Amino acid sequence: MDEKTKTAAGIAAGLQGMKYDDKRLAELAAEVEILNDAVRKAAAARLTFDDDPASLASVMAKEARS
Amino acid sequence: MKNEDLALDDLTTIADAIAEGRTTSVAATEACLARIDAWQPRVNAFLRVYREKALEQARAMDAELAAGKRRGPLHGVPMAHKDMYYRKGEVSTGGSRIRGDWVAPVTATVLGKLDAAGVVELGFLNMAEFAAGPTGHNVHHGHCRNPWDQTRVTGGSSSGSGASVAARMVYGALGSDTGGSIRLPAAACGVVGMKATYGRVSRAGAVARSWSLDHVGPLTRTVRDNARMLAVIAGHDPDDSTTSEKPVPDYEALLDGGVAGLRIGLALPKEGLAPLDPQIGAAVQAAADALGRLGARVTPVTLPDFTALYRAAEVMVKCEAAAMHRPWMEKTPELYANQVRTRMEAGFFIPATQYIDALRLRAHFVKEFLSTAMDGVDAVLLPAIPFPLPTIEETDTETKGGPAVLKMVAGFTGLTRPFNTLGIPALSVPCGFDGNGAPIGMQLVGRPFDEVMLYRIGHAYQGATEHHLKVPV
Repeated sequence: MDEKTKTAAGIAAGLQGMKYDDKRLAELAAEVEILNDAVRKAAAARLTFDDDPASLASVMAKEARS
Repeated sequence: MKNEDLALDDLTTIADAIAEGRTTSVAATEACLARIDAWQPRVNAFLRVYREKALEQARAMDAELAAGKRRGPLHGVPMAHKDMYYRKGEVSTGGSRIRGDWVAPVTATVLGKLDAAGVVELGFLNMAEFAAGPTGHNVHHGHCRNPWDQTRVTGGSSSGSGASVAARMVYGALGSDTGGSIRLPAAACGVVGMKATYGRVSRAGAVARSWSLDHVGPLTRTVRDNARMLAVIAGHDPDDSTTSEKPVPDYEALLDGGVAGLRIGLALPKEGLAPLDPQIGAAVQAAADALGRLGARVTPVTLPDFTALYRAAEVMVKCEAAAMHRPWMEKTPELYANQVRTRMEAGFFIPATQYIDALRLRAHFVKEFLSTAMDGVDAVLLPAIPFPLPTIEETDTETKGGPAVLKMVAGFTGLTRPFNTLGIPALSVPCGFDGNGAPIGMQLVGRPFDEVMLYRIGHAYQGATEHHLKVPV
């Protein structure tokens, strides 16, 4: 079991109270890595301290055409 | 005219005919029921047909009209909806086995609005389990089949909505769209589907797939039908705090502006998550040419890299779905289709910080899209599904695993899911047929709350083309 799969195993058993076999844990670790990397890179390039999840609604209202 | 032929009329035609006394709601309902008898065994679009109840409602609508009362613009029109809109006291399965006999405690806001407008309810429609799946497969209730070719997928998750509208079993249907689930079945079945701006239509009383990305919307045969239906269901709802208080335009009254002078950006992505098949590209290019002949100024635009938007959407869906499904995933995991359950599991492993950042990124993504692909144009035109429609067998992830099948299924949403992250409106309109005779759909994407523009362009296009008039046999 590689380090990422071990981490997934720790989250499953230690934090979420769930059981998965080693093969599935490896698949989940790989899937999560892709998603996390994409969001982390996008966030690093764009987000600042003051970014608020709720700003989507205000941006939509400000940019509304009709 | 045979009674069944009434079902071939579109929504606005039948609604106006009922209002003017040229036909009745009972006749229209009987026509739809005859189409359901003929087509349900072939396409499995319905989960429940309310035959007697619908006829009773239709008789009541006719009686009200005879007494001088017209409830609204859909008075007496028969419809059916994806089986995820709650009707108080009635079973609502969400396409699942888990909720196979669950009875809804409330009525969805959108159903209440359709009731108030005079709609007759024919029943509830097949869908992907818990709205999770872009193809129309359902291991619990049977796969929904495409009316144009029953070996091919309908698109999902609003599979029954697309199939029932295409087969003229109903005049209109509600779907829902978290990653393309209105636009994909609309494209695959050759009908019109609108994913309006996030917040334009209430989600209250509808099964959630992802609270942040779910959009409720109509599937219909024409753009005009769609405009009428959206005007009925749109608007602020105290039961859904994400709904906007912006007034709802009279979409139908604003349809006839034409496209002369409008600027339309054409995007035919050759790379990325969903590389475009040449057949599909040619059909969308032909649609752009048709709009050009109507006076629109069509210019090529480049879409931004959608990878981050797509992944951010996946993070939101997986985390939110895992949270809401956790009790069932722990206690009765065997009651899910494998592919439905396993797609949610990553949500238990994604850090909360990543989920929050995905939410925080959305405003940035919107500003970037509006200032790049939409800069200087009124709408962007692009394909809905980037490849010719595959068969049910080719895309059956439950029985066929493997990276190629999973990649094909994921490819369905490559050009639709990013617009759920953005929350901006996107309309799917039929624009041709592929080499197998299956429909092709194009998307029109607009600025926030600019559904008027998309309807205007789509309506002008349908006025100059006949793809939407073809009926499966």
